[in-house]
Order: sequence, then structure tokens, then C-alpha cells
Amino acid sequence: MYKYKASKDTGSKSWVLQRITGLALLVLMIGHYILMHYQPDSGHTYQAVLSRMQFSWYRIIDISFITLGMYHGLNGIWNIFRDYKLHSWAKISIISILILTGLAFTAWGYVIIFSIPYIN
Amino acid sequence: METETKPAYHNIRTFDQKNWISQNLSYKKDTGSWAWIFHRISGIALIAYLFLHVYSLSPLAQGETAFNNKMQVYMTPFFMVVEWILFAFVLFHSLNGLRIVIVDWADGSNYHKQLYRWSWIIGILLFIAMGVLMFSFELKKFIQ
Repeated sequence: MYKYKASKDTGSKSWVLQRITGLALLVLMIGHYILMHYQPDSGHTYQAVLSRMQFSWYRIIDISFITLGMYHGLNGIWNIFRDYKLHSWAKISIISILILTGLAFTAWGYVIIFSIPYIN
Repeated sequence: METETKPAYHNIRTFDQKNWISQNLSYKKDTGSWAWIFHRISGIALIAYLFLHVYSLSPLAQGETAFNNKMQVYMTPFFMVVEWILFAFVLFHSLNGLRIVIVDWADGSNYHKQLYRWSWIIGILLFIAMGVLMFSFELKKFIQ
């Protein structure tokens, strides 16, 4: 009887979050590109990164950037898989892999950001 | 005398998952379809790049020389061109993302084709501008 029992989640929360994070990423991305490319050294030398990272606001922005980017990107990948009819074991494996790699790389990003010292 | 008639839904062609490639290719594609396809491709490329980006910035944790040595590799012309192409993916995904927001908003769907054209025009202009910005410094170094 309940052969086609599916999740009760319609995905509407995920849709709203995808849109909000997308718009936030758009704003952050404009800032990121200006910051990284107005001079070739600004994004590609340790000194430039170090001097930026003395301001905690840059760390906060970078942390939110990577968190929002990971969420938006991996939720997007999950949305692609949702377009296809999948066995529940496949769904569970895919979403586990996405969440685990996402968490691992986000954590790695945090570790990198916090490994940059405050020099004063 | 009763004639057996099939319900209308028997004539609906359902999605054939076994031949999805040929089914997708045979489907007539208009503006929205192409926007959808490019949005998907650029999205996959961007999340793949985000993983690479975390990996490529990991030498930041090992100090100045390790990071600067790694960055020397990424500042070669080949990687700069790759970076530039990456910007094309970023541009398409953000401009088309904005288009999707506008299309869903109020009566935005009435001019989704114009918006698609505009996203390409603005995208190409910004792509050229970024190329000038990125490679002008290289050209100056080359001339000096």
C-alpha cells in the first residue's frame, strides 16, 4: 500500500535557503573578486593575506563565505540527484557523502583561516 | 453497447529512465532549457572548484614560503587563463541566478528571454573587463 512512500519534506525550506544563500554569495563574490584582482599581488601573496587577516572581520567574512558556498553548492548537487528516481540506499549514500565531504572541507577551510596568526 | 475506452492518462508518455540521454537530446530546447543546462554545468564546475580552492589555499597554514611557492605556480599564464575561464562560469551562474530570482518575482516570467539575453551581454562585457584587469599587469611586466 505504501509502496511509493516518500519523504514528507517538500523541499520548500531548502528552496528558500538556496535562494537566500545564492543572493548572499552574489554580494560576497563581488567583494571577493574586487579584493583578489584589483592588484595581482592582493590575492596571491602571503603578506597581503596576512595583513588582511589582522582584521577579524575578514575572517568572519571568509568563514561565512565558505559555509554559504559549501551549503549552496552541495545542496545544488543534491537537487540534481533529486531530479532522478533513486533507490533509498542510493539516496542515503549520496547525501551522506555530500554532507561528510562538505563538513570535512568546511572544517579544513576554518582550520586554514585560523592558522593564519595575529602578528601584533 | 459499451466500448472500452482507455483513460486519457494512458496516452501520456512517461519519462523513460533507461534512454534518458537520447530522450534529453531529442527534447526541443528553448531559452529556458539552455539556461537550465548551463546553470547546472556551471554549478557543478563551481562546487568542484570550491573543493580545489580549499585545497589550493591549504599552504597558508604552512607559512609564508610554502604559500608563496605554491602561488608562483598559480600565477603562470596557463593558470591565469584557467582562472579567467572560471570567472566565466561564476558570471553565468550569478547572472542567471539573478535572472531566476527575477523570473520568479511578480511578472518577471514575461520577460525571461530578454533577461537571458541581457545576462549574456553583461556577462561577456564583464568577462572582457576582467581579462583586461588580469592580463594588463602581465603585459606591463612583459613590456618592461
